[in-house]
Amino acid sequence: MKQTINIRQCGIILIMCIFANKLLLMPSLLYTNVKADGIFVTAILFLIELAIIPLIFLLKKHFPKQSLYEILKSRTGVIFTKLIYMLLLIFFLFKIILVFSITYVYFKQQIYKDEIIWIALISILPVINHSVANGIRPLARTMEIFFALVLIGFLACLGFSLFTNIELPHMFLSDIQSFFGAMYKHLFSFGDMIFLFLILDKIEIKEGEEKKVYHYAILGFILIIMLYFLYYGKYQVTSFMHNNALADILVFSVQFNAIGRLDIIAMITILFITIFQLEIFSYGFSDCFLHIFPKLNNIYSIIVFDITFLILYYFFLGKYEIMINLTSTWLTVLAVIINVIFPLILFVIYLVKRSKNEETD
Amino acid sequence: MSDFNIRKEIEKVKEELNSCIDFAYRYYKKNGQEVGLIFLKSIIDQTLLSSAIYYPLQTFQNEFTIDNLKTSIIKCADVKDIEKKDIIKEILDGKVIILTNFSLQILSVDLYKFPTRTPSEPPTSPVIQGPREGFVEDLQTNITLLRRRLKSPNMILEVVRVGSQTQTKICISYIKGIANDKVIKEIKNKLKNIKTDGIVDSYMILSFLEDKPNSLFKQIGNQEKPDVVVAKMLEGRVALIVDNSPIVLTIPFVFIEDLQNSNDYYTNHHYSSLVRVIRLLGLLIAIIAPGFYLSMQIYHYNILPLNFLVTIANTTQGLPFTPFLEILFIFLLFQILYEVSLRLPSYLGLATSIVGALILGDTGVKAGLISPPGVIIVALSKIALYTIPEEASQITVLQLVFLFLGGSLGIIGITCGAIYIINYLNSIDSFGTPYLAPYGPKISSDLKDGLFTEPIQKMKNRPKSFSPKNKERV
Amino acid sequence: MKKLIKKYLKNPMLLIFIIILIFFTPMAIYSPGENKIKGVVTAIGIDKIDEEYEVSLLTFIPTANQTYKQQNAVVSGKGKSVTEAIYNAQLSMGRSVGLAHAKTTVVNEQLLNEDVAQIVDHISRISSLPENTVFICTNATAKELLESTTGLETELGLKLEQLIGFNSTNLYAIDTSLESFYKGYFGQTHSSIIGHLSLEEESKEDSKQNEGEDNSENNGESQATQNQKKLTNKGDAVILKRGELVAKLSSEQLNALNLLNSKSIKQIVNIEDVKLDSGIHDLSYRIRNKRVLKSTKFENGYPVFQAQVILGMELTEVKGMNENFKENTEISEMNKEIKEKLNLKLKKQFTDALKILIENKTDIINITEEFFKNDRKAFNKYIKNLNSIDEFISHVNFKVSIIINTD
Repeated sequence: MKQTINIRQCGIILIMCIFANKLLLMPSLLYTNVKADGIFVTAILFLIELAIIPLIFLLKKHFPKQSLYEILKSRTGVIFTKLIYMLLLIFFLFKIILVFSITYVYFKQQIYKDEIIWIALISILPVINHSVANGIRPLARTMEIFFALVLIGFLACLGFSLFTNIELPHMFLSDIQSFFGAMYKHLFSFGDMIFLFLILDKIEIKEGEEKKVYHYAILGFILIIMLYFLYYGKYQVTSFMHNNALADILVFSVQFNAIGRLDIIAMITILFITIFQLEIFSYGFSDCFLHIFPKLNNIYSIIVFDITFLILYYFFLGKYEIMINLTSTWLTVLAVIINVIFPLILFVIYLVKRSKNEETD
Repeated sequence: MSDFNIRKEIEKVKEELNSCIDFAYRYYKKNGQEVGLIFLKSIIDQTLLSSAIYYPLQTFQNEFTIDNLKTSIIKCADVKDIEKKDIIKEILDGKVIILTNFSLQILSVDLYKFPTRTPSEPPTSPVIQGPREGFVEDLQTNITLLRRRLKSPNMILEVVRVGSQTQTKICISYIKGIANDKVIKEIKNKLKNIKTDGIVDSYMILSFLEDKPNSLFKQIGNQEKPDVVVAKMLEGRVALIVDNSPIVLTIPFVFIEDLQNSNDYYTNHHYSSLVRVIRLLGLLIAIIAPGFYLSMQIYHYNILPLNFLVTIANTTQGLPFTPFLEILFIFLLFQILYEVSLRLPSYLGLATSIVGALILGDTGVKAGLISPPGVIIVALSKIALYTIPEEASQITVLQLVFLFLGGSLGIIGITCGAIYIINYLNSIDSFGTPYLAPYGPKISSDLKDGLFTEPIQKMKNRPKSFSPKNKERV
Repeated sequence: MKKLIKKYLKNPMLLIFIIILIFFTPMAIYSPGENKIKGVVTAIGIDKIDEEYEVSLLTFIPTANQTYKQQNAVVSGKGKSVTEAIYNAQLSMGRSVGLAHAKTTVVNEQLLNEDVAQIVDHISRISSLPENTVFICTNATAKELLESTTGLETELGLKLEQLIGFNSTNLYAIDTSLESFYKGYFGQTHSSIIGHLSLEEESKEDSKQNEGEDNSENNGESQATQNQKKLTNKGDAVILKRGELVAKLSSEQLNALNLLNSKSIKQIVNIEDVKLDSGIHDLSYRIRNKRVLKSTKFENGYPVFQAQVILGMELTEVKGMNENFKENTEISEMNKEIKEKLNLKLKKQFTDALKILIENKTDIINITEEFFKNDRKAFNKYIKNLNSIDEFISHVNFKVSIIINTD
């Protein structure tokens, strides 16, 4: 089977990347730092992240059919490339742990008995391994099939939240220092679009299709901003108390509660989104691993991933405070390298290539 | 006069056929000229044999020549020369072999006649409107049924024989200029490579053709109605008609085909869209309902609305089984009843349903062995199963898988199962066609005949999923 | 065996899948339904008795019957903290506590003498408890209140939260939930409002009659009558400042404050001694629709709150009916006197209720918030001169005009 994906599937992967880590704990964390200005923090970080998309198109144009590894290797040498891939590997690994621990806490609180939850979550592992083994194409197609379900679930959560009293959240309450502080602190929760660089050679783009990706990016952005807006609008000063944004905006007023609990909609939506994110990151991990150790095959990368994951899982899971702490301390440094410096390096590579092209012309 | 010794030759053939009891031969001798007929009397039309061969031979006045035999004596349309090595094969195909001592040429006259059914409405695909004819076990009749609907010189019928013992004829049928050459080549290749002693039904060649033969999911379509097969051939598919089987295989196959039904095209398209959505819902309910109910009961009681929880808690209070065992018990009970009702004569079927539904179900609830919600959930999923009868066997297995997943891992298990299966299905390529097309990947132009249908005049193009050579339907 | 291993190793994912099933299916087979190991709690009550907390849990008792009726019982436990008390209640219940279906939290008035947020902290930390749980207080002990509700469903087909829910539009905070309590608690003026249910002594005759019925029904109901206290919903509420009770509002006072709440339209207004053609009557009106136009501004640096309330009112009762009146039974148009009287009455009620808020420095009608929202700069400047933001409401000049229509 050819391992290429079309532009629509690329857009859907992009949306899943945009959603990563931002649906549950993030709004509440941002509220404790910058109050409802969290919306602006998210928006600005997203716009910075969005710069990756045109860079991808430029690289694809100037390095047709070349993978990221080949581009980097030819311009910066093997050692530097492997170093970058090593950092990417760590980046994806911790992303997985972060997504996992947040989901763990959510499901533990919501539905599972303490003793069963880790077993249930571990069962996700074979599923993500299976999709990594099958390759990017079935993975993207699976997301494509479930995308409608995810979108409907997400919109249902937003729509149902409108049944309660929602006021305009108070904006501009934070000072500039804490605003930028929050941006730096939560940088690790952004930058998931980096994944698209790894599948650079696998995206099939026909002429004039580029804008479709932007449409998906904007859709993802609007959904996230709407969620934050409705969440802050609904909970106002108590936003810091509610850790599961997408699920919590579904909670109704007293009268509505007679219907029963509709959190199942949020639960299934979150579960699908989480598994897809884990699959994406896990694929990223595997891709990096195979480039660092080119002699090994897919099965090895999966085994290494599982073992590393289980070890980290043991240390971090259920102690998500540690994980949250990590993300705002040294993982932020990693995030700066991956989210800011790495794209800049690629941009420089592109500029050099362009100037060379112009010279030859 | 040739030196050909007919009697010796006949003896040889008899020996080769192990002197089977339906082996028959006959001589005619006139003026030193000998004509010998060899055939298997069980598979030829004996009346026709007398009228088209015996009688003309007896009444022919002039000297026999091979040309005479071919043109004026034998009153049959299908007379051909064959090689000596093909004698046995031809006899087994229901041909009468004519040997003469005046020519080395061997003639084969097609007089085959098997006891066959007349085309009738297939029991598994009944229609409310539309043609009621179904395929039968006879290859010729099946080809006739297709020919009647497809009067095109481009309809190609190629026969391949498979099975060292059965020598089953498999007819590859497609429309030249529409069907994708790559698919045809791949099918021929795969058929050529089949190494087995016998094929007695079309289902037996499935695993030789499928990409993933171990898979639970079927990757090749099966049809019992000629109108459907013709429609599929017009979309660019290839049909495999296997002799002695009323089931015609169509290749490539996509999953959505099982949601489609020939009725959909003979009714209003709005209604057929609704019905397809209901079928999909039925499919989901059939697969997930028991597992989901179980997960709610064992792990996620807090998601259930209080009123519902009160009902479940009250009815399951005092049951001797745990929820998992209870559902498994009801599930097995239904499955046993189903198997019994399939195999029992119809007059006993009524008795089984009385015993099953009334005595086992009702009394089971009253005796406090099983709970009413459990019975409802399992019954619902078992009924929903038959919204897509073609997939019933696969769904039954999936029901059980999801029952285990829901029971042991809760809602995470069910979601993981769903993603696992869809990912797996997405990794299947049925002869170059994505298995879940037109939804994974989304092929916009093919959605006209997807879950939501459009009027037939709007389907101007053939589905892209099958990469037909000629894309337009005009 | 080797062949078998090889076969499965070809598809390692399937192998893992099978392992999971093999390992976890026995667990599934032995797991009883969650409702058997967890007590489904539908309401929580917290009391304080001699420096100890007592938590009472209104628990649903599953009974094998075909009537699908909900039977409840109250289980309680004591402890030095709420967590300990709940743990002790679990011990006496023999099941762990499942709070996911708890729709009501009741606290005793006595508990409101200290910061109630500290007490319900444990409950608010349990995220399986829905945030929209009704939060009310009672004059009796919470345990008594819960016990009196055990028969509520069988008698009236009513649940406790429904009883409060009916009343909820009367509260300014729209609903009286834990969430709205916290919203007020963490708000600018730290004031919140919660509903109040009272238990009152029943007359002996009534209780005897009830007792007779109850004994034939079930235990839960007989418990309610043993105490001889009856649950009455007067529509009262209490105002909390930093989690402590500062004032009680009667149903009438709440109605008056609701004048500025366009969502609340259930109020009734009575006016006395109205001179009509047919004589002097007492009239009752019901507010049928309401439109409130609010604005805030700083006039000469002082905060002014302007509101125009347009009410559509409907005559519902006339006292002192006589023959002359019968000729024109419908008073299609209000005369000037009626309008004036209604206007005066409503304004007086509002001013009285407002006084309570000002006295207690509790802004439960979110006036401070409105000013903050509309002109943040001027607001911040103004509150700099105040000792605390809580005083702001007392500095606001209220200009409320009421327009009354009959349609």
